[in-house]
Amino acid sequence: MKYHLITLGCQMNMSDSERVRTIIETQTGYQWTDNEEEANMVGILACSVRQKAIDKVYSRIQKWNKWKNRKSLITFISGCILPNDMEKFLKLFDIVFRMSELESLPGMIKQYGIVTPASLQPDLQTMPKNESINKFWKVTPHYSSDFEAFVPIQNGCDKFCTFCAVPYTRGREVSRPSAEIVGEVQRLVEEGYKSITLLGQNVNSYGLDKKGEEISFPDLLRKIGEMGNAISKEFWVYFTSPHPRDMTEEVIEVISQYDCLAKQIHIPIQSGDDKVLIRMNRKHNVETYRKIIHSIWKHLPQATIFTDIIVGFTGETDEQFENTRRVMEEFKYNMAYIAQYSPRPGATSSRWADDIPLEIKKIRYHQLSDDLRKVSSVHNREMINKTYRVLVTGHDRKAGYFSALTEGKIVTRFASTDEQLIGRFVDLEITSSTDFSIEGKMVLMKEIA
Amino acid sequence: MNKNKSVHVLGIRHINDTTYVLKFDRNERDFIPGQHVILGIMGENNAREYSVYSGEQDDYFEILVKVVKEGDVSKRLKLLRPGSEVEMNGPLGFFTLNMGYISKKKHVFIATGTGIAPFRSFVKSNPELNYNILHGVRFAGEAYDHDDYRPDRITLCTTGDKQGDFHGRVTDYLMQQTVDADAEYYLCGNVNMIHEAFDILKEKGVSSDQMHAEVYF
Repeated sequence: MKYHLITLGCQMNMSDSERVRTIIETQTGYQWTDNEEEANMVGILACSVRQKAIDKVYSRIQKWNKWKNRKSLITFISGCILPNDMEKFLKLFDIVFRMSELESLPGMIKQYGIVTPASLQPDLQTMPKNESINKFWKVTPHYSSDFEAFVPIQNGCDKFCTFCAVPYTRGREVSRPSAEIVGEVQRLVEEGYKSITLLGQNVNSYGLDKKGEEISFPDLLRKIGEMGNAISKEFWVYFTSPHPRDMTEEVIEVISQYDCLAKQIHIPIQSGDDKVLIRMNRKHNVETYRKIIHSIWKHLPQATIFTDIIVGFTGETDEQFENTRRVMEEFKYNMAYIAQYSPRPGATSSRWADDIPLEIKKIRYHQLSDDLRKVSSVHNREMINKTYRVLVTGHDRKAGYFSALTEGKIVTRFASTDEQLIGRFVDLEITSSTDFSIEGKMVLMKEIA
Repeated sequence: MNKNKSVHVLGIRHINDTTYVLKFDRNERDFIPGQHVILGIMGENNAREYSVYSGEQDDYFEILVKVVKEGDVSKRLKLLRPGSEVEMNGPLGFFTLNMGYISKKKHVFIATGTGIAPFRSFVKSNPELNYNILHGVRFAGEAYDHDDYRPDRITLCTTGDKQGDFHGRVTDYLMQQTVDADAEYYLCGNVNMIHEAFDILKEKGVSSDQMHAEVYF
């Protein structure tokens, strides 16, 4: 019997899917297939961030339910689901479960065709209950790479940004026990993993839900750093995504003290205008954000800085957009993930008029992308003739080249045909750069592990 | 911390036809003045965020609720009786005082409507607090529990009648005043007032670092 799983959305869902695969393959006897059409069981990990992603779910289940006319098929769904969609999915899918119910999935599959009683309990239609997420975290994931891994450290969100529905799909912030996190990171390092990303919706609010019972985020990083010092392996640990509200100087100081804590900070600003930030309910302003950037420049001068920005948020004026352009110039990001605002179902802002015309959003998007290009190309040019350690991630689109990432996650390529290099560290001398990437030549193979 | 989300209603106090104070079990939950709870009818889909209206020392929670025309939860909560169960998440949020400033700095609280709720919690919880409140409403009958504040520390701005201390919007009042550029400013209420007050204060030399906002959407 074969199964196929479609994962939509963010890295958190990707990480969840690795645990779902473990449970299915170790406890139900189903084997993975890349071919959806030959599967006897098909599932989706849904994402509610954009309407488009939810539309994909509806289109998929309609197709799958038609397939049931010609073959036996079990369908299931989990992931980030808003209460209203949850009610509809209960009628469309055979199995609907919260991620915290994952360990019950084999039992639900045995009752093929029956909507799980647990899923019909009324409390599932309100806020997700996070207490049993602890059991979910104990599942050993079926990692999709043998050198890069994601380790969830926290689930849910308490920030209630008005453009986001995560607090309504994943519920309140719950921190995973630190001993489990450090244990999983250590196991991965011992198995040879080189890039490990700590995941959470607000990763740096780790521990705040369990004050007095659990360590803080800086202390968690410290523990991982100490483990890294004690082990004779080379690896980089990242985290995403943090919220400026909880980004303390202590976090940045700790990163500066340990080699294994990667010198790359992804710190979403979303807008460079204080009034837009208020409307977004971001709980920070440009000045508090500026202090974080200055702290990074002070303690981690070599770090790359990434951000997320939304353009065309409801009510954003030309002047407010210009303020965002100013912060792009001031903070000189290495990379920014720029999104044109679109209402996200279930989020507070979806109740407001989406009043910035698409054409204006596109213009702002292109202007800001050009601004980013200017600042990132300067960073990349400065890397020329210097040597950087990179992690080789796979084949490049250009034949005879490999893709790699620097510690600061700058996309790199270099000429080589040695397949053994994939998943390993090499040193490159940078020879040229573009706006968003660099190219180099291998100078020395230096593999510690 | 008690994780039970079910709490019992202890009472409802009606301030006027449309606004009431709902009092319910605190269940020994930790709470920082200025935080909010998410409250809804047990087992239903609907829940809303409400700033806590009571003080840190009170062994119960109060919220200040105005019935809104298109709202469902505010109408349903109004019908509850003592002993009814409600579902509560939280308290949550970051609209809190910097405790290092409590006795050192002046605090200016600017609210519209039920946006005064977190300020009552600040004042009840911190008797030593050096504060002034600017409260904007349409009619003087919406001056919720103004007796709880020292009269010289609260200014009522009304737009619909002339029964307040000032006839006009809070932002009109603010425009006419000299502001203390060293004070901490807390803004709570509708987003238009917050944006306008933000601009006025900035023009008058207040740093955005000293402005804290909680928008009621």
